[in-house]
Amino acid sequence: MNPDLDLTLQRVIRAPRAAVWSAWTDPSRFEKWWLPAPTVCRVDRLDVRSGGALVTRMSDDGVVFVPHLDASFLVVDELERIVYTNAIDSAWRPANPAPVPMTAEVTLSDHPDGTDYRMTVRHGDPAARARHEELGFFEGVGSVIKQLAVVAESQAVR
Amino acid sequence: MAQYSAELDGVFVALADPTRRGVIRRLGRGPTSVGDLAREFPMTLPSFMKHVRTLEANGLIRTVKLGRVRTCVLNRDRLALVDGWLAEQRRIWEERTDRLEHLVTDPKEEQP
Repeated sequence: MNPDLDLTLQRVIRAPRAAVWSAWTDPSRFEKWWLPAPTVCRVDRLDVRSGGALVTRMSDDGVVFVPHLDASFLVVDELERIVYTNAIDSAWRPANPAPVPMTAEVTLSDHPDGTDYRMTVRHGDPAARARHEELGFFEGVGSVIKQLAVVAESQAVR
Repeated sequence: MAQYSAELDGVFVALADPTRRGVIRRLGRGPTSVGDLAREFPMTLPSFMKHVRTLEANGLIRTVKLGRVRTCVLNRDRLALVDGWLAEQRRIWEERTDRLEHLVTDPKEEQP
């Protein structure tokens, strides 16, 4: 875990592990949560096994779909763990994915209230990160970030 | 829990207005009294106070009353919620996990 590049999150989800597992492995359920509405997600391939493909597309209008994710599962332990990366595409070809190469690890374990859900997302190197920022990653919240940059600069002057 | 997303929503709502962003920018230079701040924005004091209260309610600023003067101070920790690359990735994953949690805990959804 590198705190400059990686993030972790942990939740207790009030549902059985099998339900969470199914949300990750059943395409019709996966499509319902993977992307924020109103964007529509369509699963092309969701082959949840080690080396299997994870390919999704997205659409703003539900008619025209564009590529979203082309990735491979590295490790899959039934009901326990899913690891995937976008640094290798679904044909196992090394990739330079936008916005940044990453590996996501999800672990599920039993909890008295349901499922203990943990994630670690490991991101690519700082050079990749810099390129990522050059590519205008912040477009979606561009005006806010510009304002924040102004604040940060004025902070530096103080 | 959707707690983190709810907090971020509040921050983004607070920042989604040019007057409020102007106040944030101004407070980046240091604490300022409400009176001095209000003079820099072309609106009535009651209208301006609404913006101040929105910023305060979402934790972006705090106000301190000294005698008869109320001073606004920027809460930089709060801004850090949306500041930076990794925070953005965190937001994406927190919100994605919110949706996953919602799906699997929604009684209307068919459980396996």
